[in-house]
Amino acid sequence: MQWFDALIQGILLGGMYAQYALGMALMFGVMRIVNVSHGDLVILLSLIGISLASSFGLGPFAVMAALVPLAVALGWILQRAVLNRVVGEDPLPSLIATFGLSLALQNLMLQIWSANSRSLPGGGIESRSIEIGGIYIGLLPVIVLLVATGLTLGLDLVLKRMRFGRALRAASADVEAAAMTGINPRSVYAMATAIAVGILGFAAVFQSLRSTVAPSDGGAQLIYAFEAVIIGGMGSVWGAFAGSMVLGIAQAIGFRIDPGFGVLSGHIVFLLVLALRPQGLFGRA
Amino acid sequence: MTSISTTVDQATPPVVNVRRQTLSGVIALSLFALIIVALATMAWWAKTGTIRMVLELCCYIVAAQMWNMLAGYAGLVSVGQQAFIGVTGYAVFVLAQTFGVNPFLAIPLALVVPAIVAIPCYLLLHRLDGPYFAIGTWVVAEVFRLVASNLGWVNAGAGMSLGVMRDYSGFERNVAMSILCALMILVAIGGSYWFLRSRYGLALIAMRDNPVAASSQGVNVRRLRFMIYVAAAVGCGFAGAVYFMAQLRINPPSAFDPMWSNVAIFIVMIGGIGTIEGVVIGALIYFVADRFFGEYGASYFVVLGVMTVLVALYARTGIWGMISKYWDAPWFPIRRHLMVEKEDRS
Repeated sequence: MQWFDALIQGILLGGMYAQYALGMALMFGVMRIVNVSHGDLVILLSLIGISLASSFGLGPFAVMAALVPLAVALGWILQRAVLNRVVGEDPLPSLIATFGLSLALQNLMLQIWSANSRSLPGGGIESRSIEIGGIYIGLLPVIVLLVATGLTLGLDLVLKRMRFGRALRAASADVEAAAMTGINPRSVYAMATAIAVGILGFAAVFQSLRSTVAPSDGGAQLIYAFEAVIIGGMGSVWGAFAGSMVLGIAQAIGFRIDPGFGVLSGHIVFLLVLALRPQGLFGRA
Repeated sequence: MTSISTTVDQATPPVVNVRRQTLSGVIALSLFALIIVALATMAWWAKTGTIRMVLELCCYIVAAQMWNMLAGYAGLVSVGQQAFIGVTGYAVFVLAQTFGVNPFLAIPLALVVPAIVAIPCYLLLHRLDGPYFAIGTWVVAEVFRLVASNLGWVNAGAGMSLGVMRDYSGFERNVAMSILCALMILVAIGGSYWFLRSRYGLALIAMRDNPVAASSQGVNVRRLRFMIYVAAAVGCGFAGAVYFMAQLRINPPSAFDPMWSNVAIFIVMIGGIGTIEGVVIGALIYFVADRFFGEYGASYFVVLGVMTVLVALYARTGIWGMISKYWDAPWFPIRRHLMVEKEDRS
């Protein structure tokens, strides 16, 4: 029973990680770049959300309505101002640019919000739970998981069915051939990053509701997103979703064994996948 | 100087000399030798505070040069070299404190540890592509930090102290630190220079310019990358061993601090990636900036971060790249110039 409970909690935790991992999978799939400041953007949005909530007395869903458009705009600007200049065969420039950005963002947040941990008041939903067959399940984690599933489904549909999704897949398969057929890679890239960071708008609200955030937390979020993408396999958004579940379950079970072992057991599962199945659990070989 | 006569044209075989050293190189090399001697004798002319400051700078130079070999030549961008810095630091403490080995002997002995640890790390990580490799190295460093925080016999999260250093007088410690500084710089800068001038260096530069073309010319790219990774792990380990021996204390957050990567990347990118001169310039800039602006804490790091972004966007060759565009006087020349001697052979 205790382990079944850990499994459920792990899946719910995975819902949180999926919201980080989707954007990372999308950006790597399209541009072959990793945004090192991915986690810091979550924290930045969370802190902005907390400040909005406290200065205007907004509820968590009103904060979300404000944060998601802001995140989309932030992603678009990030791509236009920085990433479009460093996209290319060589991975070094994009890594260094986003690494510098991460360093700057982290310390800027430290300057504005200080090193204190904060959280978003949720008006009670963060502590409500439902009992199913002797297991208490938090209402908030269930909402997080549902939103994560919805976002994955939505992103998958956009990529498969919409005109923009086709342009995106074309640009990721062969950017020059795509450009010849009239696609502007730079605006496609800007849209992709806007979506990737936009999803972080949702993640930011949930992250600051379910636990606390501090300016230095970004690195851990980046690592979780990255591990989820690699565990799942780099092929698809559903791979990232499944990888997040595996990571969540590994961490939840680890926490049950020993509180100091939770995060570490997630890393160990990641290294095992890397050793035994480098294409990822659900990736194409 | 080597003299090669080609047999392409039998009628007039041109005599070709390969020139490898330049005047600027000779001057720089003499200066380098002087600096090494000055470092080794620091205990007799500098105060303890100065020696500690120089030791810190030397550690940064070594970590930066190792990152430079990885990212600038082997194409392996790592943000997790602190894994090896911390592991070796811990190895020194365990050898000296737990097993009672002489601490100065423990440093060379501890260097075996990063070499051994780096092998499985590389075998796992080399499966990851470009940018994913970088984040993978960070995960490995995090694993090391978490393991050290949970491991009872390195005193878990509380860390260890190097109490055995009490047996040595202040002067003896200063002598050891001075000699270690000189050795570190000699191995990291001198060793890299020697390596880059050797035939491996030629292969490495070919690989940096184009890995596919290099492997078609017979360069074993995979083996070379592996060698560089292990060598960089040992180099970083050396810096870590010396740094934490001087600190006298080690704990998981300081041993596996990502700050090491931040500093190494800043130094190499600002100074100029893929050159030894760049590392020297970048380290001096970082060191001066740290002395003058370090007190501003967070805002100082914001400026470092923004500068790194700007270099990545607009000046990828860094300061040395800009200098050498206008003034071609390398301090550590590694190019081979063919000098055709125009002599009348009839």
